[in-house]
Amino acid sequence: MLSADFVIATAVGYVGLLFVLAYFGDRRARVNTRSFLHSPAVYTLSISVYCTSWTFYGAVGNAARSGLEFLTIYLGPTLVFVGWWFLLRRLVRISHNQRITSVADLLSSRFGKSNRLAVLITCIAVIGIAPYIALQLKAVTSSIQAVAGSSEFGRGSLKGIDDVGLAFGVAAAMALFTILFGTRHVDAKEQHHGVVAAIAFEAVVKLTALVAVGVFVVFVGGGFENIFARAAEAGVTVDATNTFDSRWLTTLALSVAAIVCLPRQFQVTVVENSDENHLRVASWAFPAYMLLMSLFILPIALFGMTTMPAGSNPDMFALTLPMAFGQDALALFAFIGGFSSATSMIILESIALSIMVSNHIVMPLILRFSPVGNGDGQGVTSLLLVARRFSIVLILSLGFFYFFFTRDSDALAPIGLISFTAIAQFFPAVIAALFWRDASLKAATAAIAAGFVFWVWCSFLPSFESVSPQVAMLLDRGPWGISWLRPEAMFGLNGIDPLAHAAFWSLLVNIVTLTLGSLLTSQSALERIQASVFVDVFRRGQSARGNFVRGSATANDLFFVAERVLGERRAAALFETEARDSGVEPDMLEPSPQFIGRLERELAGSIGAASAHVMLSKVVSGSEVSLEEMMQMADETQQVIEYSQQLEKTSAELRSTARQLEDANAQLRELDSQKDEFLSQVSHEVRTPMTSIRSFSEILLDSDDIDVGQRQHFVSTIHQESLRLTKLLDEILDLSALERGERTWDNVPIDAEAALDRALAVCEALLRQRGMKVELGDRAQPTMVEGDADRLCQVFINLISNAVKYNDSDKPVIRIASSVKAGNYVAEIADNGPGIAKRERKLIFEKFWRGPGGVADQGGAGLGLAISRQIVARMNGSLDLVPGPLPGACFRIRLAVMK
Amino acid sequence: MLLLTVLGAALMLPPLVYVFDQPIAHFGIPQIVVYLFALWLLLIVGTAVLTHALPREPGSDEDEGER
Repeated sequence: MLSADFVIATAVGYVGLLFVLAYFGDRRARVNTRSFLHSPAVYTLSISVYCTSWTFYGAVGNAARSGLEFLTIYLGPTLVFVGWWFLLRRLVRISHNQRITSVADLLSSRFGKSNRLAVLITCIAVIGIAPYIALQLKAVTSSIQAVAGSSEFGRGSLKGIDDVGLAFGVAAAMALFTILFGTRHVDAKEQHHGVVAAIAFEAVVKLTALVAVGVFVVFVGGGFENIFARAAEAGVTVDATNTFDSRWLTTLALSVAAIVCLPRQFQVTVVENSDENHLRVASWAFPAYMLLMSLFILPIALFGMTTMPAGSNPDMFALTLPMAFGQDALALFAFIGGFSSATSMIILESIALSIMVSNHIVMPLILRFSPVGNGDGQGVTSLLLVARRFSIVLILSLGFFYFFFTRDSDALAPIGLISFTAIAQFFPAVIAALFWRDASLKAATAAIAAGFVFWVWCSFLPSFESVSPQVAMLLDRGPWGISWLRPEAMFGLNGIDPLAHAAFWSLLVNIVTLTLGSLLTSQSALERIQASVFVDVFRRGQSARGNFVRGSATANDLFFVAERVLGERRAAALFETEARDSGVEPDMLEPSPQFIGRLERELAGSIGAASAHVMLSKVVSGSEVSLEEMMQMADETQQVIEYSQQLEKTSAELRSTARQLEDANAQLRELDSQKDEFLSQVSHEVRTPMTSIRSFSEILLDSDDIDVGQRQHFVSTIHQESLRLTKLLDEILDLSALERGERTWDNVPIDAEAALDRALAVCEALLRQRGMKVELGDRAQPTMVEGDADRLCQVFINLISNAVKYNDSDKPVIRIASSVKAGNYVAEIADNGPGIAKRERKLIFEKFWRGPGGVADQGGAGLGLAISRQIVARMNGSLDLVPGPLPGACFRIRLAVMK
Repeated sequence: MLLLTVLGAALMLPPLVYVFDQPIAHFGIPQIVVYLFALWLLLIVGTAVLTHALPREPGSDEDEGER
C-alpha cells in the first residue's frame, strides 16, 4: 500500500532528478552545441509539454463523461503541425530573425513594437492561464489525495491537511522549483536548454507511464474488443450522436489556437527552436506522440467506468485502476507520470509568463524611471531575474487563488478550456500578423481587448458559479435583470453549450474588430516596415531587417547599453565579432545600421523587442524611422528652419542698420564737406560783387576823363552790387538765424490762400514779362493755417520766381493749385521747365545749389529754396519736390489746417 | 501540404464526420473511433512523407507553394 508521505517523497526525489538533469543539460548544451540536446527528438519531446495532467487525468475523465470530445484537444494541434510549412515555419523564421521571446513580443514587434499591446497580451495571458495552473494544482492535489485516501494509514503527515493546504504546498514547492530551474540566468535567445532537457525527459516518463497503465488495463480487461463490448453491455457508449456538435467544433478550434498561442507552447515550439529543420521531424512526430498518448485513454475510461464503484472520480482512473488491482508500483509510476506532466507544464508556463511580465511590464518601467546611463555594470540581468522570480510567485499565486475559489467544481477539462478560450483571443491577431499586411496596431489591440472582455464575462465569470451566489444569480438573470446580458446567453443566444457560446462571441467580436479596425485605421511607418518584414519573411533577404538608418551613436555608447543588458562578456564578444567582420580595431568600430539592427535583436532576446527598441532609440537618437521619431525629426527641422529664419531676419535687420549707419556716415561726411563748401561758397558769393565794386570804384578814383554817362553807369553798378551783397548777407544771416532757431516768430492763424494770392499778385509783372502762361488749377477755399503771412508769401514768391527763372521752354507754363487733403493745406507750384535731374533732387534744398545750369547769371545765391524749406518747417509744414502734372519741377507745400 | 491540412480538418468536422459515425464495430471497436484514429495516423504518415519531399533549405519563393 502506498502512503502519502512515500508518494510525496518520491515526487520530491523525482524533481531533484529533474533538477540534476537540467543542470547537466545546461552545461552540456553550452559546451557542445552539437549534443543530442539540440536534436529534433528532444525538440519534439519538449513540445509535448502540451500534454499536461489535463491529458493524463483530465482526458480520461473527459472521455468517461463526454465520449470522444477529448480527441479534439489533440486533433487541433495535429492539424497545425501537419500544416507546419505554412504557419509554424513562418513563426519560427520570423522569431529567429527578430529575436522574438514570447507571443506578446511577437505581436508587439509586428504591430510597430508597441509596448502597450505587449502589456495587454501579458496581462491577458497571466489572467487567462491562472485556471490552467489551477488545473495542474488540482490534478496533483487530487492524485495525492487519491493515493493517500486509499488506505487507513495512507494520509501519514497529511493528516489534518485539506485540499487547499495541500494545493498551497504544491504551488509553493512548484514556485521554488521553477525559480531554481528557470531563472538562473538570462539567455540571449531566452533558450533554456537545461529545462528543455528536463521537459523532454518528463515527456518520456509521462508517455511511458500512461502507456504502461493503458497496456495494463487492456491486459486486465482482456483486450480492446472485450473492453468495448463490456462497456456496451453496461450501457456506456462512445458513438453518441451529439458528439459532433458545436462543442466539437469549438474545442477543435480552441486547441488549434492554443498550440500556437499558449505561452509555453510558443516558448518550446518557437523560442527554444534552435534549428528550423527540427520542425520537419516535429511535424509528424509530435502528432504521433499525441496519438500514442490518446490511444489508451478510451479503454482506460471505459474500463474504469465498468469496473470502478459508482461515484469514483473518472479523472483519477489512471491512478486508481492500478491501485484497485493492487499494482502499487504501477500506480506510483502513474502518479509520477501525472506529476511529471503537471510539473513540466507549471515550470515552463511560469517561465514563459515571467519572461513576458519582466520584458513587457517590468523592463519598460525600469527604462522609464531609470536612465540608461547608470547601473552597477552587471547589466539589468540581475534586475530581470529578480523580476522574473516575483512574476513566477505571482503567476502561481493567481493559479492557487483560482483553485481556491473554484475548488468545488468537479472536472478538470472544463477548467483548461477556460484558459484555452482566453489564449485563443491572440490567435486572430497572430494569423493577421503573419499573413495580412494591413492589420494595424489599433485594430489588433482593440480586437484582443474586446475578445478578452467577452471572455471574462462569458467564460471566466461563470466558472465561479458554484462558489458565489451573486455570480449564480448573475448567470440566471443577467446584470440588473437585463436578460440579454446573461453571461451564458448573450443577446438572447440561448441553449448553446457555455463553452461554445463564450468562444463564439469572444472570437466573433475579436475577428470583426480586427478586420474592420484594420480597414479603417492606418498604420504608422514602423508598423508598415514590420508588417512587410513579417508578411514577406520568405520573400526578402536577411538584410532588410534594420529599422535604424544612419546611426549617430558611437560604438562606445552602444557598448555601454549592450553591457548593461547583456553583461560585459557577451557585449564584448559581440563587438569584437563585429569589429573582426568589418576589419577594424574594436576601438575604431563605426556602428553600421546593420550592426545596430543586430544589436537591437540581441537586446530584444533579453528584454523584448519593444524595450530593446526604446533603449536603442535613446542612444541612436534622431536616426530612427518610426513615424513618431520622424515627426519629432520634422519638428526639429521646423525648429531649425524657424531659427534660421530668425537669424535671417536678424541679419537683415543688421544689414539695414549697417546701411543706415553707412548712410549716416556719408551724410556726416557730406555735411562736413558742406561746411567747407558753405564757407567757400559764401566767400565766392561775396567775392564777386566785392571785386566788381572794388574795380569800378578804382576806375572812378583813378580816371578823371570819364564822362558823366559812364560815371553814372559805374556808380549804379557799384550800387547794384552793393545791394546784391547786402541781400546776400541778409539771406545768409536769415538762413543761419532760421537754422539756429534764433529768428523766432509767433505762428498765428493766417489764411494760406490769401498768402498765395498775394504772391501771385506780386509776381504778376515778372510772369507777364516772361510771357508765362499761368494755369490755375483747383483752388482751395480760404484755409486757416498757423504761420507768418509774410514769410509764407515769401516762400510762394520764391517758388514762383524760381519757376519763371529756370524755365527755358518756348511756351513757358506755370500751374498753381491748392487743396485741403486729410487735414492738410496743400499748394502745388509746377512748371514745364527742364525739371530737376534725379540725382540732384536731394540737393536742391541745399545752400548755394543752383541747379545743373549752375550759372550765376540767374541772380540769387542759391539760398532761396533752403530758406523756404526752413520757413515752412518753422510753420510745422513741409516743402517737397514731387512728381507734378507738368514735365518740369513741381514743389508742394503742406501745412496743417487749423482745427 | 495545405491540402492535407484542409482535408484533415474537413474530414474531422461535421458533416463529413457523420458519414463514418455509424453504429458499426470493427474488431469490437466502434467505427467512429477506428475512423478518427485512422485519419489521425494517415495525417501523420502523410505529413512525414510530404515533409521528406520538401527541400531542406527553405527560402526560395517556389517552395512556398502547395505540395
